[in-house]
Amino acid sequence: MSFHCTGCGADVTINTQNALTARCHWCRHIFGINEQIPNGAVPDAILPFRIAKDNAVARISKFVKVRSFFALSAFKRAFSPENVVRVYLPYMVVDASACARLSGRGEKQTRRFERDKKTYYDADIYHIERRLDFTVDDLILESSSQRNNLEEHTNNIINSILPFDTKNALKWDASYMVDATSEKRDLNVPQLQSQLRDQLLSVARAQLLRTIQQYDRGVRWEQENIEVKGTRWISMYLPVWLYAYHHHTENEELTHYIAVNGRTGETMGSVPIQKWKLTVFTVVVSAALLAAASWAMRYL
Amino acid sequence: MIYVKFILLALVWLAISSAIYERFYRRYRNTDKSHAFEQKTIVRSQPAGCVDLKINEIEATERSRIAGDNAHEFRDRVLDKPSKRAT
Repeated sequence: MSFHCTGCGADVTINTQNALTARCHWCRHIFGINEQIPNGAVPDAILPFRIAKDNAVARISKFVKVRSFFALSAFKRAFSPENVVRVYLPYMVVDASACARLSGRGEKQTRRFERDKKTYYDADIYHIERRLDFTVDDLILESSSQRNNLEEHTNNIINSILPFDTKNALKWDASYMVDATSEKRDLNVPQLQSQLRDQLLSVARAQLLRTIQQYDRGVRWEQENIEVKGTRWISMYLPVWLYAYHHHTENEELTHYIAVNGRTGETMGSVPIQKWKLTVFTVVVSAALLAAASWAMRYL
Repeated sequence: MIYVKFILLALVWLAISSAIYERFYRRYRNTDKSHAFEQKTIVRSQPAGCVDLKINEIEATERSRIAGDNAHEFRDRVLDKPSKRAT
């Protein structure tokens, strides 16, 4: 069944055959029957978990332990990594064929010399154009609108535990959902086209770096264009162990995530900071450093 | 003169403070992290088509790099206009 969380607004799918209570994996709100909504689209494929819960708990505990000194007191008090949840997050895995065209300016240094204690340079200016025909294999795009915007909450955390070994994905089967929740996919191919174009352009720019090494004073790209020739889209559920902490103050409302890639164990997170503690530390340490440097310059 | 020295010290202190705060903030919040899809996605490409035309020279500039160098800023978009010459 799918539920709309009144706590954080997420649409969450839960296998109620195996779960006695239905709880949001983002903010831990417990659902009521009135929050039930129609189920979302069934994915084409699913990548089962390889990392066990105790392994994920250990990784999250270690991640937080080395960041505990400046962590928010309320976060440390509430921290209970055993509450980490198995979540399948919806992604679109894309194969694409494209042609990128770029043009700009490049500069090559021809001479370097000193005059009046200043360094000067002579250089040649080039107009450069590049065309790259390429294919990408298994580019992963978030297909939940709530998770797709990396500027909101700490969604960049979940993005940063990519990639997954998507080649090992299996045909969708609901039995993999035992003891797991999932996020509903609400972005389809048309809504993800501009993001795909954007990422393909970035890939092309990275690939073309090797063709501009001779411009030792750098390159300024001024125009770029991507022509997408063909695509293949697969909607896929990918496994994530997720720990969430909702930080609510008068000025700020933010959900912090610590996420573990359910296949590789890659762990990333956002730990809320006790800001006054970090500020005091910063002021004292920087003053001490400055005093030490002043003393050294005076007496050494 | 003593005021100038004081202001300079205050500016250095501010710069050090900002650097320390930023370093710890990023370590805890990881706001700068995201998936490096440009490097980690499998890409197969044809040899690139290249046009390189010398159009001018600069003499005795103090600038050590080209203005607006964005060769490594893969995610910064520029004008979306096709170039026709490179084939």
